[in-house]
Amino acid sequence: MSSLFFMIFQVIVIVLVAPFFDGVARSLRAKLQSRKGPPDFLQTYRDIIKYFKRNRTVPHCSHWVFRYGPYTLFGTGAALLAVIPITYSSHSLAASCSDVFVVIYLGAMLRYIFGAASIDSGNPFAGVGGSREQMLSVFVEPVMMTSLLVVMLLARTSNLVEIQEMVRSGVIGYQIPAFAVASISFLWAMYVESGRNPYDLAEAEQELQEGVLGEYCGADFSIAHAGLILKQFAMIGMFLTIFEPWSFTNPFLALIVFIVKAGVFYVAAVFIDNFGPRHKLLTSFRSNALAALGVSFVALVLYVVGA
Amino acid sequence: MTDVYLLYVLGSVVSLLLYKYNSIASKIGFGISTVASGYGAYYFFMHIGETAHFSTNIALLYNPTFSIDPVSNFFSFVITLIAFASSMYAIQYAEGYASKGSLGVMASLFNLFILSMLLVVSASDVFWFMICWELMTIISAFLICFNDSTSSMKAIMVYLGIAHLGGMCILSAFLLLAHQSGSLEFSSFTSVPMSPLLASIIFLLAFIGFGSKAGMFPFHVWLPKAHPAAPTNVSALMSGVMIKVALFGIIKFCLWLPVMEWWGLLIIVIGALSSLLGVLYALIQHDYKALLAYHSVENIGIILLGLGTGVYGIAINSPTLATVGFLAGLYHTVNHAIFKGLLFLGAGSVLHATHTREIEILGGLAKKMPYTAFAMFVGVMGIAALPPLNGFVSEWFTYQGMMQGALGEGILPRFVFTFSVIALALTGVLVVIHLKLYAVIFAGTPRNKEIFDHAKEAPISMILGMMFLVVGCFAFGIGASVVTDNIMTVVTSFSGAYQAAPEGGYIASPLGSTISLPLIAMVISGAMSLPFLIIVMMKANRTAPRETDPWACGFKYSSRMQMTAGPFTGDLRRLMDWLFQSKPTVEDQGYFKPVIYTDHPRDIWWNIFYQPVINAVAYAVDKIAVMQNGSTSVYAAYILGALCLFLAISHLI
Repeated sequence: MSSLFFMIFQVIVIVLVAPFFDGVARSLRAKLQSRKGPPDFLQTYRDIIKYFKRNRTVPHCSHWVFRYGPYTLFGTGAALLAVIPITYSSHSLAASCSDVFVVIYLGAMLRYIFGAASIDSGNPFAGVGGSREQMLSVFVEPVMMTSLLVVMLLARTSNLVEIQEMVRSGVIGYQIPAFAVASISFLWAMYVESGRNPYDLAEAEQELQEGVLGEYCGADFSIAHAGLILKQFAMIGMFLTIFEPWSFTNPFLALIVFIVKAGVFYVAAVFIDNFGPRHKLLTSFRSNALAALGVSFVALVLYVVGA
Repeated sequence: MTDVYLLYVLGSVVSLLLYKYNSIASKIGFGISTVASGYGAYYFFMHIGETAHFSTNIALLYNPTFSIDPVSNFFSFVITLIAFASSMYAIQYAEGYASKGSLGVMASLFNLFILSMLLVVSASDVFWFMICWELMTIISAFLICFNDSTSSMKAIMVYLGIAHLGGMCILSAFLLLAHQSGSLEFSSFTSVPMSPLLASIIFLLAFIGFGSKAGMFPFHVWLPKAHPAAPTNVSALMSGVMIKVALFGIIKFCLWLPVMEWWGLLIIVIGALSSLLGVLYALIQHDYKALLAYHSVENIGIILLGLGTGVYGIAINSPTLATVGFLAGLYHTVNHAIFKGLLFLGAGSVLHATHTREIEILGGLAKKMPYTAFAMFVGVMGIAALPPLNGFVSEWFTYQGMMQGALGEGILPRFVFTFSVIALALTGVLVVIHLKLYAVIFAGTPRNKEIFDHAKEAPISMILGMMFLVVGCFAFGIGASVVTDNIMTVVTSFSGAYQAAPEGGYIASPLGSTISLPLIAMVISGAMSLPFLIIVMMKANRTAPRETDPWACGFKYSSRMQMTAGPFTGDLRRLMDWLFQSKPTVEDQGYFKPVIYTDHPRDIWWNIFYQPVINAVAYAVDKIAVMQNGSTSVYAAYILGALCLFLAISHLI
């Protein structure tokens, strides 16, 4: 039962600290763009508190799919974080819901709610944003699945906790070429899934990922926004779990190490997303995705021929 | 078992006798089939692991003997389960057809249709199998006739044509097999010694025959034509159940014949192609019932992935691989029946309320039809395999089976299995885009005010029918370990065993991956409550939100601004244009009138596989028509000639 406690614990702690790293990323981005930026790293907390005091409007055509959208988005993001094994180990109760396919299909659930809410809002840009989000996943998912498939086949299981422990103890790892190549393509997939420039920009034009956020106000807005940040953390967590799992066995220390590692990834992504224009979906994005798909297929072929 | 069948016969006869009293006939006829199906589902579930026989002691051409083993029990359960919801739904839905035809006849045919499917899966010799098989086809074709229109007539012709081809292949396969075994009884078919070539020919004939009925690629084209043309309660049965009866045939043949490795791989490749192409074509449909029919192609593909893994497992003599493959296939069979039945019933309610199958002019119906909207929402979640609903569990098993297959030695199987896993994952992504099926119909603002104003919630029996399947979606997901346990009873009757449902609500793959669906459901619901907790703690949302128009960048909002079904998949359509070959037309009517834009992507396989055959047949018929000149004496000469020919043949052999 204690594993369930740690599962809840890890979700709550990450929910509490995620805005801090968002604040760090915003400060850093402002510095890179020669702007003044927020005064300190706590600006995102202040924003959230401010939003919670605001009143809300909703489009009168919308029904419960849109109106409860932020809460279900946040909930799915939190569930994604819960099934990533940060503080619990194998042979615990919590390990039996920490499965690669659960993570992938929870991600699908997030997109499902996102898309349905975006059309329900009646907002033209939200609909375009929802459509784009689906299209992104069409490009990303084959890459992600191929990389994960290689890892799962090497580990002979789809249980994330067991995969993590195998990589930790060196049963599988970078000494296997297929694993090493898969880590590259998965890193790409993870970066795109976290919704950053040049693939997407979470706080940019309305028709992009946050299209549906354009219709939310007040607490709804901040909850939906936080849900998307949670998803980014979950995606980074997925990468760390499989490809960089080194940590302590003590759950509290493991959580601290995880937060630091994930935070570094989250903030460091600013160095990528700040430079270069955004990709167009059917031209440069597609060629990018094809390259990543090629890399993941190399990993797959390496596995198939037994290297 | 016989009492279930007799109840259907009773329902059929009674509703025919009440031919004169239209509305009473439909209530009683569908009522009896509801009772029969409910009782049947209970009966087949309770006796799922048992074997039973019965024979009628009437000396017909053949003495009809029927026997039911665990596999038939399972399929009978699936049939009656969906028939229960669909019959209940039909009690009030059929009233819409009162002006189009006799409801008594409809109820009678409906009962017979269910009965014929049940008899197909319980037939124990070739003769009765083929009789019931053809009856099933013909009765369903009659039922499509209730939507009397030129397009449904064309659909029936295509359907019967394919069914004819399939029936021929199946009969040839049976006769070849019977020739080897020396008997028409199914019991004599097991482990008949035969050459690999002959076995392969029999397998291919059976695979094509049953596969064309199941709607696998490239024989899938009849499905999106015939299923939407039928009344909804019938489409739910056709799409949810009838195509599964064909899978029953494939399973039977694979258990009889000496299986070879490449058969399994062939089934998997066809399955992967069907699932990908099915979902891609589904995405571009404007007719929501055709969209659902294409989804059946996709799901048949997923089931074939599971069954193919099982067949491959038998071939390489790996009982656990065979078991997990068949488990996945059978689990997805019942799951697909449930959520596809649900989606068709939901679509029928929308059709009932709006009288249109065009998705692009609907919208905002959730406000008028909240229960139907909820049912469709759950149905789309189920088909998108989102945890903790039922679709997720069976896809999980399918993934596990294919992964285990990919672990084996040999480059070719590894390639086939790994690429099929990726195909299934891509299918999963594409199915999520089907949120548009829900969102465009039920969410947003109404696109056609008149339709919206006239729409009203479906009557109570229709809602009950849908809610039954909604409960099924949850129960077969969260209760996965119980379901797995029962399907394992079926699978172990012909294959090896492993502990698929360990104590404590878990489900497990032979490789040792274990998940617990109740726990996943708990985690998701717990996580869903977290944001509400935050809202309460932050004391936010104390006032109700103000309702406004959506933001349109300062312009006055119009419902024409919102997203519709076509553009939602626009990028995908451009990406995949080689597959759709759509030719958009733009007609400019001058400055003050709207531009007319049409874009109807097509199924290119129609032109590749079907059109040449249709042309050839039309040409041949044109030539043969000379023989049919209306002169009786010439016809008598034909008969005489044929008689002489057969005499000559029998003399020579």
